[in-house]
Amino acid sequence: MIRKLIALVPPTDRRLLPRYLVSILLHCLGQAVAFLTLAPILGAVLRGDAAGAWPWIGVLAIAVALAGVTYYLQSMIGFRIGLDMMQHLQTRLGDHVTTLPLGWFTPATTGPLARTITGNVKDVMGVFAHLVMPVATGVLVPVLVAVGMLAVDWRVSLAMVVSAPLLWLVSRWANRLYGRADRAADAAAAEANNRVVEFAQTQTVLRAFGALDRGDVALAGALRAQRRANRRLVWATVPGTLVFALAVEAAFVVLVYVVLSLAFGGSLDAAAAIALFAIASRFVEPLTHAADMTNAVRGATNSAERITALLAEPSLPEPETDVAPGAPALRFDGVRFGYRPEQAVIEDVALEVPAGTTTALVGPSGSGKTTLLRLAARFFDVDAGRVLISGRDVRDYRAETLLAQVSVVFQDVYLFEGTILDNIRLGRPNASDAAVRAAAAVARVDEIVDRLPDGWDTQVGEGGTALSGGERQRVSIARAILKDAPIVLLDEATSALDPRNEAAIVRALRELTHGRTVVVVAHRLSTIRDADQIAFLEGGRVVELGDHERLLAAGGRYAAFWAEREHAVGWRLDAVAAGGPRR
Amino acid sequence: MSSHAAATAPAPSEPTGRAANRAAVRARKQAVAAARQRILGPVSTALAGASLLQAVASLAAVAPFVLVVETARELLADEPDQGRVWALALWALALLGVRGIASAVALVWSHLTDAEHQFRLRELLARKLTRVPLGWFGEQSSGTVKKALQDDVQTLHYLIAHARLDQVAAITVPLASLGYLLWVDWRLALVLLLPIAGYLLAYARLMADHGEQVIGGYTAWEQRVNASVVEFVDGIQVVRTFGEAGRAHRRFQEAVDGFSTFFAAWAGPMTRLESAVNVLLNPAFLLLAVLAAGVGMVGLGWVEPIVLLPFVFVGLGLGATILTLGYAAQASRQAADAAIRMTALLDAEELPVVPHPEPGIASDPAVAFDRVGFAYRAGRPVLEDVSFALRPGTITALVGPSGSGKSTLAKLLPRFHDVTAGSVRVQGTDVRRLDPAALYRAVGFVFQDVRLIRGSIRENIALGRPEASDAEIEAAARAAQLHERILELPAGYAAEVGVDVRLSGGEAQRLSIARALLADPPILVLDEATAFADPESEAAIQDAIARLVAGRTVLVIAHRLHTIVDVDEILVLDAGRLVERGTHAELHAADGLYRRLWDANEAAMTVLAGEEDVR
Repeated sequence: MIRKLIALVPPTDRRLLPRYLVSILLHCLGQAVAFLTLAPILGAVLRGDAAGAWPWIGVLAIAVALAGVTYYLQSMIGFRIGLDMMQHLQTRLGDHVTTLPLGWFTPATTGPLARTITGNVKDVMGVFAHLVMPVATGVLVPVLVAVGMLAVDWRVSLAMVVSAPLLWLVSRWANRLYGRADRAADAAAAEANNRVVEFAQTQTVLRAFGALDRGDVALAGALRAQRRANRRLVWATVPGTLVFALAVEAAFVVLVYVVLSLAFGGSLDAAAAIALFAIASRFVEPLTHAADMTNAVRGATNSAERITALLAEPSLPEPETDVAPGAPALRFDGVRFGYRPEQAVIEDVALEVPAGTTTALVGPSGSGKTTLLRLAARFFDVDAGRVLISGRDVRDYRAETLLAQVSVVFQDVYLFEGTILDNIRLGRPNASDAAVRAAAAVARVDEIVDRLPDGWDTQVGEGGTALSGGERQRVSIARAILKDAPIVLLDEATSALDPRNEAAIVRALRELTHGRTVVVVAHRLSTIRDADQIAFLEGGRVVELGDHERLLAAGGRYAAFWAEREHAVGWRLDAVAAGGPRR
Repeated sequence: MSSHAAATAPAPSEPTGRAANRAAVRARKQAVAAARQRILGPVSTALAGASLLQAVASLAAVAPFVLVVETARELLADEPDQGRVWALALWALALLGVRGIASAVALVWSHLTDAEHQFRLRELLARKLTRVPLGWFGEQSSGTVKKALQDDVQTLHYLIAHARLDQVAAITVPLASLGYLLWVDWRLALVLLLPIAGYLLAYARLMADHGEQVIGGYTAWEQRVNASVVEFVDGIQVVRTFGEAGRAHRRFQEAVDGFSTFFAAWAGPMTRLESAVNVLLNPAFLLLAVLAAGVGMVGLGWVEPIVLLPFVFVGLGLGATILTLGYAAQASRQAADAAIRMTALLDAEELPVVPHPEPGIASDPAVAFDRVGFAYRAGRPVLEDVSFALRPGTITALVGPSGSGKSTLAKLLPRFHDVTAGSVRVQGTDVRRLDPAALYRAVGFVFQDVRLIRGSIRENIALGRPEASDAEIEAAARAAQLHERILELPAGYAAEVGVDVRLSGGEAQRLSIARALLADPPILVLDEATAFADPESEAAIQDAIARLVAGRTVLVIAHRLHTIVDVDEILVLDAGRLVERGTHAELHAADGLYRRLWDANEAAMTVLAGEEDVR
């Protein structure tokens, strides 16, 4: 845990750690000495020797000064480390996430990401700013006091030395009980979370089908389970709390008994006995505080673990030295790949895309078309075989060189918050305004802009919600046009568009793909028909390969697919035609 | 961004700004008070009880030290009474026991109250969700809903279960202690009070300078980082292929850097001051103050030596309890924010339901839109003065340029929103006067975004008619071209959606059609794009839709004009107004907007078809 935490401290701040720890140690020492001076001071005063107390008050003053100065120091150093950690860790996490294989990005992993980057980082930076000090004080001060008591009375010291670890153990046991119930409560909360989101998302359909009560039942069940888990959590804390309180009392009883017996036995004078009481009363309090801190410590530990685990997620490996790309061609060479190792999605695919030609990937859903595209962009690495871009294995390039070779136009277009121009400029951040607008014009984005209230300055909103699907696609095509990479990987949108948008997109795509090497997951019949080469995929294999005419003439899977698609295009909504099945 | 302004701009210094500021602060305080009352009102009695117990526990925590002082007094006597000493010690221990039990009971009480309250609140909020207009869910992300129902309710936990009790302790313990100490010796008590007063003063200054507004800035920055994380994760493919290799998205980095700059500027000076001031409450420092002053007074003969003991035993613990006040205050602020968000959700406008809905007249299956107007925001009408009727058993198509309001218009029929002018009548009754259940029995819809519920395929199909027989369910699936796909599954109709089977877009679409077929509403609202939702199974979906529309009164939102040339009537919308109506042939001949749309489509189709010539 400690090693993990230190690994999370920015390297530049690690030299601060010794100073930080020494400050804390000295602070604890100062406090312990301050408490220990109670014995001689009270002893002297109660014996009627006020003057004899003054030298000890001098010692106390020095101890307090030491404790005060070191407290301030550790606090400032802790703040500095925490602050640096925040920026360092957030940046590191953000950078690291971008190097992970795309397969890592599932709702299960990306959902908690925002919490890791803000919440968990906050917890971890709080360790140095707020946590080490109270915990160290809580444990060290009593220990130092107990040790220091040897000089005053060894028997009382022994009683303290024995009770301190005992109290510590009891509090740990109590926390373990709590931890178990807490995890159960967490799980119940997570389940209830899912039900809540589901309940909100399915409102339309639940209401439309008069099934509100059905959704209610699922949600209410989850909420009740959450309440049950929360209640159990409460009761789980009770024995721990009670036993700890009892243990504190027992420790007190022992101390009181030892001190009083000694006093009455005559081996301890009354003044010393009272001083010992005073010290003892300072002895338990820090321990209790430290025990209170265990929750925060556990939270921070979990956070550190989550951050460490995320940073330990393996990136796509990158070579030390770069290679130079050749002519912009593309080749799949005996490629096998599966998102899960035991389940291959791509099986033994060999496919050659010569420079300057277009290859259309066609096939039923789940046949591996989009996966092939992703492998070409190196969102994942193949399990066997190789993917060559411009004559080199994609794994031999440094990331920036590979990126410069390909433009990708995705099916689900994502726009970032900002203006349309900002979003197009992503394709080439240093492009001039004129170049950005020129790209926009080619993709007919200027037509979209004309109808927007704030023109080019219109904010498109998170995910581009201000634009329609077809419009978003045009922006993403403009982005790729601006980027001007020699190879284009294109995943055609499946969703239906009105012909106007579709025509604009087809024109824009023609500009984008003109003279370039293109691999396209094709849905548009014209795209498929016009490709230089069509690869028909089924079950992760290329089962037919050739141009449109040849494949059609072959009368195989492609020909059947084509016939059905052509038939669907002419579909009309017509009540009369609905009388029976057409096939 | 406002948070940025809050972070960098100094507080407005001119008097008017200050006054406005104060008014804003006052308004917020009132809103917070109202929200707290509403959200926390139900637990106030239970919390008062727990607080009382906590007060008892706090007193029981102070009293033993008083007894220890008395023990010491006895010990110092010339002839200590051993029996009395032991008795006092036992009493002290007994009181400590009382303290332990009372505070444990108080904590359990507050926690159980919290668990119950969380449950009630979540139920209340969930029930609210069933009453807001369906359109509301398009404006709010499901993340917002989750935040209110789970995170915000959870935020209240610390306030209800801990903060109140901590506050009670943080007030009771110092008050009781100080009262006792003042009674023992007021001069020495004042010495002890000095550092505490110094701390409180400094703390008040700290809060005035770095108070609520800046904490608001902190939350805003944190949210900005969160939002940029979500954005960059959602757009990871774009970041990956267009961004700088190995570097996070620029906007994310900006947010991170900005957050850290803000935090340094805010927390830096505060930490400096706080660390200095915290020394004042350190028990070692308080010990020095009390002993130096006390020994001096003893030397001067002002007080008896024994007087020092209460200060040593009781006085030093004051610091720690006062520190908890700060934490409780922060929790209270966070809870106030949560309460305000929850209140906003609870106050969201509901879809009005009339107390005595009319059952509807089954004999008249027509739909009528009568001078319908609608606006999301006042002054920006989306629909104006739209009137038309759907004749029973006919198909009516809505067409128009994008943004003309055709989707909005169609969604008024199943009451995603209520009209702002005019009325929508189903079977002769205003939809607002219909029992919602009756409305949805009469009107079904199939849109592009299909929502499947957790459960088996059978349950999903039978959503509207849970009592349907297996044969009926199978017939619906068969008509929706889904039956054979289901039979391929090992679990068949019992397969759990999302667990045993992941349905493709087209399959989910066909399931939603099967659902509508089984529910069998006489009126149907349909998005034509549904027919082309999944190129892999276009033909199957189209067949299913053809079955679905047969014999019903259908309103279809049309994007591709070719699909609807055969429908009974076409309504042409432009900028929220109904500008043309008729059959395809009539409208084509009329040479109006429809004709222009049609020609534009034709031209586009030519482009699409002619692509090969350019190549």
